[in-house]
Amino acid sequence: MLAHAIFFYIFSFIAIVSAIMVTVSKNTVHSVFFLILDFISISCLFIMIGAEFLGMIMLIVYVGAVAVLFLFVVMMLNVAQQKNQWFSARESSKHIPIGLIISVIIFFELIIVIGGWKYKPDLMPAVSLTMDKEISNTHALGNILYTDYIHIFQLSGMVLLVAMIGAIVLTFRQRSGVKRQSYFSQISRERSDAVEIINVESNKGVKFDD
Amino acid sequence: MINLNFISAEIFISVSIMFLLILGVFKKNSSSLIHNLSIGLLLITGILILNNYPDKSLTFFANSYIIDTLSSLMKIFTVIGGALVLSISKKYLKISNIFLIEYPILILCSILGMMVMISSNDLIVFYIGLELQSLALYVLASFNRDQLKSSESGLKYFVLSALSSGLLLYGCSLIYGFSESTNFNIIGNALKSTHYGLTFGIVFILVGLAFKISAVPFHMWAPDVYEGSPTSVTLFFATVPKVAALTVFIRFLYVPFINMIDQWQPIIIFLSIASMIFGAIAAIGQNNLKRLVAYSSIGHIGYTLAGLSVATNEGIQASIIYISIYMVMNLGLFSCLFMMKRNDQFFETIEDLSGLSKNHPILSLSFLVILFSLAGIPPLAGFFAKFYIFKSVIEQSMYFLAIVGLLSTVIAAFYYLKIIKVIYFDKEKEKYDTDHSTWLKVSLAISTLLILLYFIFPSKIVEIVSSVTII
Repeated sequence: MLAHAIFFYIFSFIAIVSAIMVTVSKNTVHSVFFLILDFISISCLFIMIGAEFLGMIMLIVYVGAVAVLFLFVVMMLNVAQQKNQWFSARESSKHIPIGLIISVIIFFELIIVIGGWKYKPDLMPAVSLTMDKEISNTHALGNILYTDYIHIFQLSGMVLLVAMIGAIVLTFRQRSGVKRQSYFSQISRERSDAVEIINVESNKGVKFDD
Repeated sequence: MINLNFISAEIFISVSIMFLLILGVFKKNSSSLIHNLSIGLLLITGILILNNYPDKSLTFFANSYIIDTLSSLMKIFTVIGGALVLSISKKYLKISNIFLIEYPILILCSILGMMVMISSNDLIVFYIGLELQSLALYVLASFNRDQLKSSESGLKYFVLSALSSGLLLYGCSLIYGFSESTNFNIIGNALKSTHYGLTFGIVFILVGLAFKISAVPFHMWAPDVYEGSPTSVTLFFATVPKVAALTVFIRFLYVPFINMIDQWQPIIIFLSIASMIFGAIAAIGQNNLKRLVAYSSIGHIGYTLAGLSVATNEGIQASIIYISIYMVMNLGLFSCLFMMKRNDQFFETIEDLSGLSKNHPILSLSFLVILFSLAGIPPLAGFFAKFYIFKSVIEQSMYFLAIVGLLSTVIAAFYYLKIIKVIYFDKEKEKYDTDHSTWLKVSLAISTLLILLYFIFPSKIVEIVSSVTII
């Protein structure tokens, strides 16, 4: 139990510190890396409370796809070095009060939600749900995803296929006049095709028929 | 183990999408082959649905997918409509330089989405089907990406449609919160109280659906999207998705919301009246035929909604007959549009039609028949469609709705007759090309004959549709 608590505090500490670092670090690329660290430590927390499927999905979707996409955008837009510093520059200080107000509102909303959840008497507590301890989350999800919801699962695949076809149709252009490298002809080229050794007689020169 | 026979059409169409995609990738210059193959595959899908036509309603996948007479009939309309749209738009696509392998595949994808929508008996299945069909439609709207108007219409459609999807989802979550289930039957049993949250949920869902069928006041995307998209895509927009969206409308109103009829009936009546009046008045000033079709489709959707508002089986059947006849009329109208071509350039304004009767008497005769039918002049099919609607409305003594509908028919007749006047009495212009594909000619002939000869066999269609009973 002690080890559990120690790990919980380590991961929580890393999560909070990296979340703060995302907003305050000057280099945008560093921000993205701190974001990835934040995601990883939160997924570790999920795994610790037994939600291993949620943790792994968090890793795959947020770290594997979203954060890498962020990284691509940051690198392509070339905004690695932020010119103005948060909290000090005059332009950005205008936004801080608005940001603070929104944070306070979200904070109070969370308090209301959690308070209602905690103190509403007729709400069903999570422990009262019958849960099979033997079977893992992933198994339980798979059991209904591939039986009762198989058609929805397959149709979601079709939706993704249509999205892919659409993206290709709307953006792919066959350019004419592009010179492509042909590895096969490059590799299969022999010395005899390209170079010819000629004995040049003096005072005659060489005549090429090209 | 569930009986997969009844969903074999959906499985078949999904497999054929992937097969066509792989064929298109590995075989060079296979656009024409894939186009023809997808028409054939759609027809086979239609045969599969017909083969497994159910005599009672069956549910699959933990009661979330339903096959009944309504869904099978509407699926057949969707599939046949899709096949016809593909077959008459081949030449247009070639000339507009958008004859790519992805075009028929995207149409197939959106038809798959519509089939799922039509058969859904669950909020999640419904939403997935809706997104599948609209995602394919966004891409189709901006398919001619080198043209500014096409890209603009795709973007407009995407942004507005995403907004309406958001409203729809909000409504779904409210309904789910109050009924504790996403299943339509369970929702129908749970929704008995008149809680404000439920009313809000119903309103949000109806707004989202009204947007998808472009009923007033959620119609503003339709004219721009119809005008900007390639004409073949406009034809698709104007026919097939309307059938699917109407079915979803019927399903929502009469399965989960059946006990809340006092809440939704005024909303549907308002949507219907507003669409009929707006569709009639706003089309008068239009010069572009595609925009005109958009406004006229808004008006026609008003009539189908009038049939839905009466809450009887007769009303629903009248709406289904209306939408199927409307589909035939639109196919004929767009076949005429595809024939207005000179030197590989298509014309789409009313002035281009002037004096058409001198050069192309047969084409103008078809135009005349289709436009008279759209205006609802007896004894053409359009008249019967409106007749069934008004009959069911008057049987429930909703006289105000019927009077407004009749008046707006009279107003709408003005702009249809104006086109006929331009065709027959204005100065003639240069001749159009006559080298049309056989499919185009056949489709125009069939749709014109269907409209013209409907009065000989009206009981046949009424008989087929009368098997659809929801309440």
